[in-house]
Amino acid sequence: MSKISRRHFVEGAGAGIAAASVLPLKGQQKGAQQKATQQTEAGGIFAPLDTDPNVPRSIIQCTINGGHNRIQIEDRWTLVELLRDHLHLTGTKLGCDRGECGACTVLVDGKSMYSCSQLAVWMDGRTVTTIEGLKVNGKLDPLQESFIEHDGPQCGYCTSGQLMSAKAVLLKNPKPTRDEVRAGMTGNICRCGNYNHYVESVLAAAASAKPASGRKA
Amino acid sequence: MKTFTSANPRTLAEAVSLLGKGNAAVMGGGSDLLGMVKEHLVSPDVLVNLRSIPALDKITERAGDLRIGGLATLSTIADHPTIRKNFAVLAQAASVVGTPQIRNAGTIGGNVSQRPWCWYFRNGFPCYKNGGKTCFSVTGENEFHAIFGGGPSYIVHPSDTAPALVALDARFIITGPKGERSLPAADFFALPKADPSKENVLAHDDVLTEIRLSSSRNWRSAYHKELDRESWTHAVVSVAAALEIENGICKNARIVLGGVAPIPWRVQKAEAVLAGQRITPELAAQAGEIAIQGAQPLAKNKYKIPLTKAVVKRTITALASS
Amino acid sequence: MTPLKSVGHATSRVDALNRVTGTATYTADVTLPGMLYARVLRSPHPHARIKRIDLSKAQALPGVKTILTSENCDIQWSSGDTRTKRLLFNNPVRFAGDAVAAVAAVNRHVAEEATRLIEVEYETLPFVLDPEEALKPGAPEIQPGGNLSPNGRGQHEPDVYMRGNIAEGFAAADHVFEESYRTPHINNAQMEIRASTAQWEGDKLIVYSPTQGIANCRTDIAKDMKVAPEKVQVICHYMGGGFGNKNQCQDSDLMAAELAKRAKAPVRVEFTRKEDFISVHGRWPTNQYYKVGVKNDGTLTAIQMRSYSGMGPYRKGAGDISGLEVYQVPHVERTHSTAYTNMAVSANFRAPAYPQGVFAIESIMDDAAAALKMDPLEFRLKNFTRKYQDRQAYSSSGLEDCLRKGAEKFGWKQRWRPANSDAGPLKRGAGMGMGMFPSSLGRSAAILRVDSKGAFHLHVGVTDCGTGAKTTMGLIAAEALEVPLDKVNVVWGDTDTCPYSVGESGSRTTVFTGTAVIAAAADLKKQIAEKGLPKGADFLTASADTMPQQPRDLARYSFVVHFAEVEVDIETGHIRVTKYVAAHDSGRVVNPLTAESQVKGGATAGIGMALHEALLYDKRTGLPLTAGYYNARIMTHMDAPDIEVLWIESDDAYGPYGAKTLGEPTIIPSVAAVANAFFNATGKRVKDLPITRDKVLEVVS
Repeated sequence: MSKISRRHFVEGAGAGIAAASVLPLKGQQKGAQQKATQQTEAGGIFAPLDTDPNVPRSIIQCTINGGHNRIQIEDRWTLVELLRDHLHLTGTKLGCDRGECGACTVLVDGKSMYSCSQLAVWMDGRTVTTIEGLKVNGKLDPLQESFIEHDGPQCGYCTSGQLMSAKAVLLKNPKPTRDEVRAGMTGNICRCGNYNHYVESVLAAAASAKPASGRKA
Repeated sequence: MKTFTSANPRTLAEAVSLLGKGNAAVMGGGSDLLGMVKEHLVSPDVLVNLRSIPALDKITERAGDLRIGGLATLSTIADHPTIRKNFAVLAQAASVVGTPQIRNAGTIGGNVSQRPWCWYFRNGFPCYKNGGKTCFSVTGENEFHAIFGGGPSYIVHPSDTAPALVALDARFIITGPKGERSLPAADFFALPKADPSKENVLAHDDVLTEIRLSSSRNWRSAYHKELDRESWTHAVVSVAAALEIENGICKNARIVLGGVAPIPWRVQKAEAVLAGQRITPELAAQAGEIAIQGAQPLAKNKYKIPLTKAVVKRTITALASS
Repeated sequence: MTPLKSVGHATSRVDALNRVTGTATYTADVTLPGMLYARVLRSPHPHARIKRIDLSKAQALPGVKTILTSENCDIQWSSGDTRTKRLLFNNPVRFAGDAVAAVAAVNRHVAEEATRLIEVEYETLPFVLDPEEALKPGAPEIQPGGNLSPNGRGQHEPDVYMRGNIAEGFAAADHVFEESYRTPHINNAQMEIRASTAQWEGDKLIVYSPTQGIANCRTDIAKDMKVAPEKVQVICHYMGGGFGNKNQCQDSDLMAAELAKRAKAPVRVEFTRKEDFISVHGRWPTNQYYKVGVKNDGTLTAIQMRSYSGMGPYRKGAGDISGLEVYQVPHVERTHSTAYTNMAVSANFRAPAYPQGVFAIESIMDDAAAALKMDPLEFRLKNFTRKYQDRQAYSSSGLEDCLRKGAEKFGWKQRWRPANSDAGPLKRGAGMGMGMFPSSLGRSAAILRVDSKGAFHLHVGVTDCGTGAKTTMGLIAAEALEVPLDKVNVVWGDTDTCPYSVGESGSRTTVFTGTAVIAAAADLKKQIAEKGLPKGADFLTASADTMPQQPRDLARYSFVVHFAEVEVDIETGHIRVTKYVAAHDSGRVVNPLTAESQVKGGATAGIGMALHEALLYDKRTGLPLTAGYYNARIMTHMDAPDIEVLWIESDDAYGPYGAKTLGEPTIIPSVAAVANAFFNATGKRVKDLPITRDKVLEVVS
């Protein structure tokens, strides 16, 4: 049914779609529902099969990992639900669902956020980057290389979130101090306790980066 | 999660009107309210998303005065050059809220109007805050509860920016069904005596739209927060301090405590000790002693008294010598 | 020790790429076609009889498929309680969080809404939270037969251990010290939120479970679901931490299996984080009482210990308090009671019985040293264990080197001063703690295959919960086969493709499964020597199922000493760890890179246990208050100090290449080291964990 495959989200190859306003799709509003269905058929709206027709829905337009998309969502979906359950971008993890652990961290307009604490509907007009979008042209981000070398992940469950926070730290400050890295990543808990190695990884990636390479959003 | 409609008003009037119709709740950054919806502490049918209203997140400067939109994020405030320079206490308070992720999403309006983080309330106990008729902390686990201003509820106000804004004599602009009104920050917060279910004067169809800061005073200010681990807890005790110092003499002082009372707790007697004086460590210590006068600790939060004394002394000493 | 080619070299994890690209598949990442979602309704009371359950409203909700309750499901969760009968859904419910119902529906929102539509009428019963209170006459009875859980011999009596003659021991002492300590329930708090997915293919049950041991998990599921083990497949390719609370099979596995059976569709059971904190299990709370006799020269003469563990209302088989054995002492008397309470269930959490006990024993030893004006290092050098329980030699012991060389690396001589040496409000202090952990040998299995191109395929039933087991097993295979690691493809995490492995509990995988890998490699090398490489699509296969004998008359243990320096602000009660050194004798270290991660992680968790963590209860209602990462104050990036690791690789003749246990020893002495550093800084002691600001300001004022 979906016009946009998972590939678009993973590799950012989605076609650009002209701006469309958010259409509230109330279950009880028949007209709006029909309109949306028509758009699904005609206009490349990604409508997950498992959307419940009996609950309020909306269509959002957002950029995910470089691909521009219009997506039909339930109003109550959190961003992490949209990503994991409906776009199958399962690299983002759910650890607490309350903004207390950081496993679900993604970048929204280049800033780190807990995707469990954002509704998907609020992503209209925004740019979301997940762990799947961290590679550029198939090449690992220097942070990913560094995480491997310094044994950042133990169980690995918090790692996607740690990487996205690390990315946010370096986007803001390409040459952070040790304490700045700690402060920048402190919203990401690692119960395996590998904080030393995560911090080393980020410092090493920053040190190896060419000047200005971290400034591009 | 419970079913709800996300409403996206384009204007404030539309937002207020949506809030007035039935079971609706207002969302700024949303982090806190969303958590409460998931815990079934609130069950709105409509979530009014303020982010769809243009320019509500803007920070504008006019002759040194600042107007901070209610939707300005905490990270924007923490990084804002003018706020860092002229209203340091606010930038510092914003910079120690939660985590980077929370500051990137959380708004100033949401931060000052967030609900308490009392574990009885958040765990759904039928307390005053959850519509019940008791406060479980009084004879329960009250390590983090109020030593000032408690009764019948003993929550502490959870906001870091609230004490800073009270210290800076900020004005809060509220938009409701009858239009816009403004009031001093200190009058925004309400003790539980009147209505123990609430922490401020906002009606359910009011929106905190803007916070104004005046540059008429030459504040030198700072925020100090003691946490229960090194990051991501609410203040165990915090101090927002602002001093107006001319030729080495303190003309005016504001000392507002966080983490000790159901509202940002201004200690005017301690301020008075500093006024007209050259601040020394001894004088700052005296201010600390006076700041804790009248404290009425519960069984397990007596430690907040020496802690408050110490952080008032240190914050004032550091600020005077900065 | 002879250097080796693969083993002993710092090596990145074989699966590191998956872990940094989001492509590692954890249980909740598996979505099956037509899969239903399930949520659990839990008791809001610490102890209550269910009088009536009305499902009509929940069943009427569109999208609801199947509901399990104590009225329609009597499946026993046998690994959830090894002594009495614990069902998936119990009546009476015995703790706030005990499962009452599980609902499978088309999505998680409907399932959750349905749990809220289930009407349950409870008759509340009296409850008790503290283990000592639970054993007093007149305490509410939680399990038939009383609240004293059966001891090692199956009797409703305390566990008693005696050595020498305790009265003689105290008679020989010049000084006797008495003290009591308390430690709270704390949660494992692994990052992976619990989920189990089950699917039936005819009479075959496939379970995706976040388990620490697929083989044991399969055995347990088969037993409780009453199906043959070979009809159960357990899959766990990536697992987001467990630290002991994903051993065996979990109730979520059984709920998913039964719901899937009834709904005739795959089902994923998901717990919330709060459920994980209150309804799975954490470290048991303890009350401990000690009496210690010491001579003037610091020689220990006697240790008497009386202690209590609170297990919650069910007992998964653990409950002891350990740590005494690290001291050499002729006279010991130990009486330990394991009690049922109405708190959250307690069971294994990283070195289950140790950090609590070592915190207490190391505290009282430090007090003794201080009273005798002895350097705590000298006190320990005088009294550390030379023989296990004063009778049995060790297969190897680097404990003395851990003490001496660790102290040197830490700068003990400069950093340790008599207690409360700083005049100002900022006080620095140094502390240490020592511990040991069994490193027994035992049964495990491995299969090695080689193809025509000379590529090796190692099948091991590990799940790799973060320990690096896949890589460790690969390195051992590479060493044994005399090939580089990249010639070894590790196959893991699926009972249909992997033989029995001991499970990642007890820190046993390296030693147990590593031994099997070496045996399989020896067999395969022999086959290759005899037959040459296979042709075409053929393989040569070697299986090993090894059960090495324990060394006769030798005790095999790992040893560990941690050193901490803290800075205490006695005006604010704030504590900061400013220096930390961990010295470990785990025999030969197979992969120093991942081993270092283990040590840092264990130490970090121990610091959190010392300073922050506790599942706090409201005493009147019996309800937990501090579930979740925020309220449990789990250590963050900003809390974690730099931790330096020192390897003392004792030469041990047993185990694969002389490797001993590592994962769990890492947390054992860290709590004690921090607590003793606090004492050294302030001259005061907090005897009930955690050492929080309120207690600090109380003792220093």
